[in-house]
Amino acid sequence: MKDLRQLSIAVCVIGLLVFIPFVIRSEYLINLLIMFFLYSTIAQSWNLLGGFTGQVSLGHSAFFGMGDLMTRLLWTWKLPILLASFAGGVSSMLLAAIVGMPCLRMKRGYFPIGTLALAVIAQITIGNILPLPTYLPREYMEGYTHSSRYYLALSIAIVTLWVVWRTVNSRTGLAFLAIRNDEAAAEAMGIKTFKFKVKALLISAFLTGLGGSIFAYHQVSYYHEASFNLSWSFLPTLATFIGGLGTIIGPILGSVCFLTLNELFAITLGQIHLVIFGFSFVLIVLFLPGGLMSLFKQIKLPLSTRSLRGP
Amino acid sequence: MRKVGFMGQTLVYGILNGTVYAMIALGIALVFGIMKYLNLAYGSLIIIGAYGSLFLFRMGVDPFASIPVILVTLFLGGAILYKLFFSRLIELPEGEKIKNSLLIGFGLMNVFDNLAFIIWTGNERSLTPTYSGVTFEILDLRIPLIGLIGGLIAFFLITILHLLLSKTYFGTSVMAVSQDHEAAGLMGVNVNRTYLISFAISVGLASIPSVLIGLQSFSATSGMQWFNKGIVVVMLSGMGNIYAVFPAGLFLGIIEALSVFFFGATYREVTGLVVIMLVLILFPRGLMGKRIES
Repeated sequence: MKDLRQLSIAVCVIGLLVFIPFVIRSEYLINLLIMFFLYSTIAQSWNLLGGFTGQVSLGHSAFFGMGDLMTRLLWTWKLPILLASFAGGVSSMLLAAIVGMPCLRMKRGYFPIGTLALAVIAQITIGNILPLPTYLPREYMEGYTHSSRYYLALSIAIVTLWVVWRTVNSRTGLAFLAIRNDEAAAEAMGIKTFKFKVKALLISAFLTGLGGSIFAYHQVSYYHEASFNLSWSFLPTLATFIGGLGTIIGPILGSVCFLTLNELFAITLGQIHLVIFGFSFVLIVLFLPGGLMSLFKQIKLPLSTRSLRGP
Repeated sequence: MRKVGFMGQTLVYGILNGTVYAMIALGIALVFGIMKYLNLAYGSLIIIGAYGSLFLFRMGVDPFASIPVILVTLFLGGAILYKLFFSRLIELPEGEKIKNSLLIGFGLMNVFDNLAFIIWTGNERSLTPTYSGVTFEILDLRIPLIGLIGGLIAFFLITILHLLLSKTYFGTSVMAVSQDHEAAGLMGVNVNRTYLISFAISVGLASIPSVLIGLQSFSATSGMQWFNKGIVVVMLSGMGNIYAVFPAGLFLGIIEALSVFFFGATYREVTGLVVIMLVLILFPRGLMGKRIES
C-alpha cells in the first residue's frame, strides 16, 4: 500500500516535471532546473559511494570531467547524444576501474587522499593537453533548444535516482551499509568488502559520468579544465551533507538548498557566498552530520518514511 | 660535460625545492602522526602566512625577520582553529578521524582561499628583497642564496623539533598520546592540551614555508598546490613519521627536478602525485613506513 502511494507520488512528480517546459517559457527557470538535475545527479551518485558505502571520495571531479570530455568529443563527432552520454558514463567507469580501484586497496582512511590526488592529476593533465576552450559548431548552435537539454537532464536524474534506489534496496545495498557501519565486521560476516566497494565505486563513477554528459550537452563553450575543476568534487559532497548523508532524499534536498542559496547569494554577495558555503559545510559536518534529513526525522515529517529514508 | 653540469644544476634546484617540501610536510606529518588528523587547509594557511609576510615586507621588514611574527600569529590562529573545529573529533575512531578532519579541512580551505581572494585578489604576488637574485658558485654549480638559507632553516627547525619531542615533558606526552590517547589520559597526561599545542605548533610551522614560498611566487588559490607537495612527502615518509619527512622531501624535490629535466616543466605538479599513486599501490604503508600494523 505504501509502495503504491510512493509510486503514485513519483509518477505525479515526474509527470509534472515532464510538462514544465510546455508551461514555463522562462529560460532562466529552465536553466535553473537543468542545474538542479545536474547537481542532484552527481550528489546522488556521490552519496552511493560516500553516504551508503562510507568511502568518502574527493575525486569525483575526475569522473565528472571524464564523462563530460568523452560526451563532448563523441557528440561533436555527430554521434547521437544519448549514445555519447552513455559512452561518457562508461569512460568514467573505466577511469574509476583503472585508477580509482587501486585507491580502494589503500589502508583504511586513505581513500579520500588517493582520490584527491587522482582529481588533481586529472585537472592538471587536462589543462596541459587541452588548453583551448571548446565551442559548439555552428549547426549545433542553430539547433540548440533548452527543452532538449531539459529532457536529457531530467531523464539522467531519474535514471540515477532509480539506479541508486534499486541498489540501496537490494542485497548489494545491504552489503554497502555493512561496510559503512563496520568494515571488519562485514568482512567477518563473509561479505567480500573489496568487491562491493569496487561495485559502489564503479556505479557511482558511471552515474557521475552521466552527470558530466549533462554539462557537455548543456554548456555552449567552456575550457575543458572547467569540468575537471575540484569544485565538482566539493559540490556533491556539500549537497549531500546539507541534505543528509546516506539517504535517498538527502542529495535532492541538498541540491535544492544549494541551488537556492547560490541563486540568492551569488549575485548579491559575490565571492563571499563561497566563504559562507565553506563555513556552513564545516558546521554541518561537525554539528549536523545527518544533514537536514536528520532534522526532519526529529520532528517526524512525512518525508522521513522508512523506505525513503533508507537505512 | 656541459650536459652533466646542467644535470647537476637541476639536482641542486631539486634539493633546494625539496627542503621547502619537507618543511610543508613537517607540519602536516606532525598533526597526522599525533592525532591522525589530515589538515587539508594547511596549504591555504601557508598562503595566508605568505600574505602576512608580504604585508610586513611592504612595511620594510625583511622576509626572514618576519618569520617569528608570522609564527606566533599562525600559532595562535592554529589554537583557535583547533578549539573551534578540530577538538570535536577527538573521540572518533582512526578512519573516521581522517575522513572528518579531511572534510572539515576541505570546507576551511574553501573559506580561506576565497577570503584571500576577496582581500588580496587573484594576482600572483612575490616577496622581492634586494638579495632575491643573489647566487654563488661552488664547483661550477650556481646556488641561490635564498635556497641555501631555506635549507639551513630547515635543518635548524628539524633539530629543534627533535629536541622538543625527545627531551621535554611535552615531547614525552606527545609520544604517549600518539600511541594511545586513552591510556595516556588515564596516566595523567593532559590529552586535550597536548593536542591543542601540537596542532598550534603544526600551524605555526607553516610560517617558514610561507616565507620561502613568498620569496618564489604565490596567489590566493595556490594553497592546494602546496598542500599536494606536502601530502606527497608525508605519504612517502610513511604517514606521520616525522624523522623520515626530510629525506622524503629531498626525494620528491629530486624526482621533480628529474621529471622537469626529461619531460618539461608542465608536468612538474603531476610527477609527485603520480609517484604517490604508484607508491600507495605498491607499498600501501609508505616507503619508509613502520612495518607494524596498528
